[in-house]
Amino acid sequence: MSIKKDHEVIIIGAGPTALTAAIYTTREDIETLLFERGAIGGLAAVTDHIDNYPGFADGVDGLVLADQMRKQAERFGAVIELGEVTKIDAGKSSVKLETTSGDVTAKALLIATGSDYKKVGVPGEKEFFARGVHYCATCDGAFYRDKRLVVVGGGNSAVQEAVFLTRFASHIDLLVRGDHFRASDVLQEELKKHKDKITVHMNTTTDEIVGEDNKVVKVIGTDKLTGKKVDFPTDGVFVFVGLMPNTQFLKGCGLELDEIGFIKTDENLMTNLKGVFAAGDVRHGATMQIASATGEGATVALRIREYIEGHKVINE
Amino acid sequence: MVKNITIFTTNTCAYCVMVKKYLSSKGFGYEEVNLDQNPERQAEAQNLSGALTVPVTVVTKEDDSQEVIVGFNLGRLAPAVS
Repeated sequence: MSIKKDHEVIIIGAGPTALTAAIYTTREDIETLLFERGAIGGLAAVTDHIDNYPGFADGVDGLVLADQMRKQAERFGAVIELGEVTKIDAGKSSVKLETTSGDVTAKALLIATGSDYKKVGVPGEKEFFARGVHYCATCDGAFYRDKRLVVVGGGNSAVQEAVFLTRFASHIDLLVRGDHFRASDVLQEELKKHKDKITVHMNTTTDEIVGEDNKVVKVIGTDKLTGKKVDFPTDGVFVFVGLMPNTQFLKGCGLELDEIGFIKTDENLMTNLKGVFAAGDVRHGATMQIASATGEGATVALRIREYIEGHKVINE
Repeated sequence: MVKNITIFTTNTCAYCVMVKKYLSSKGFGYEEVNLDQNPERQAEAQNLSGALTVPVTVVTKEDDSQEVIVGFNLGRLAPAVS
């Protein structure tokens, strides 16, 4: 089924930044189409429980928060197309996009594609992807009832997801490369409540994921203090070692990225391409928090409105 | 032509929601097998997909041939039901 060709605003992504921006634009009667190739709600939707988003005294499940944001945006008329943008071309008066749903144009484009979990980059990781190596605990944790797991990482995601995985796993080895956690104090306290199931290994690198008979059987790491190799017998590995921006599809379009691939913007959240804005986790300098993502969504929507209405000439 | 569709899901899987949303938007019905409620069918999902993940979508055609799609993969799901 083909979709309408010409739009006022197109947003690539449907995470918290994108949905907030859509709430703001559509409430101003600015017609808005979103493209989402993955989960509506982005990484927030695949997070088990969110405790630091304002307005929820007892926290909120990521899936519930994502669904509420979607409903709110759709209530004001936002349309979410399940499809992928493959190419953008910023012209003088509009932005052209090639998508899996056909070619479309927009007066203004917001790139809010967020970020995804990074690979740890060791032998065995690619070979056992989804067959013992995972990046989504809420998706794949249920396959490890009464099994041993290794979780790699020391940040908020690693600690939170390790705690979530105690619902299923009999034991978890948490491998932290550094000598301290980057996770919040609150999450570290939560981790301590599960010390019967989670063993923390600080100063431990993850070197190789080893399988036998098509199954993961162990992770080989190195104790950085002694230099000795250590085996961690396991049935599966969950990796949470940071985030990488979802900007691969933008290569060659002339958009200015930083050395990692995050999008550079000016103070109005506009990129170096006229009419193309970026906000949220995909933006250089983003703080990777849902609360700041929604804040950036509101800000960029106001900037887009100004741009469309021509009240303020930006980037000329 | 699609004869029937089965989706293996869990309670917390956001990509499972997306598969269901996509199929509903295209007017397809489906049987959902929730592995949190039916853990005994986990091996079935694993055997079909060769993976330890959900969603697993099994599209059975009129000639009883089956296509198994792992994850929310629109590039495979859309043609499988078209």
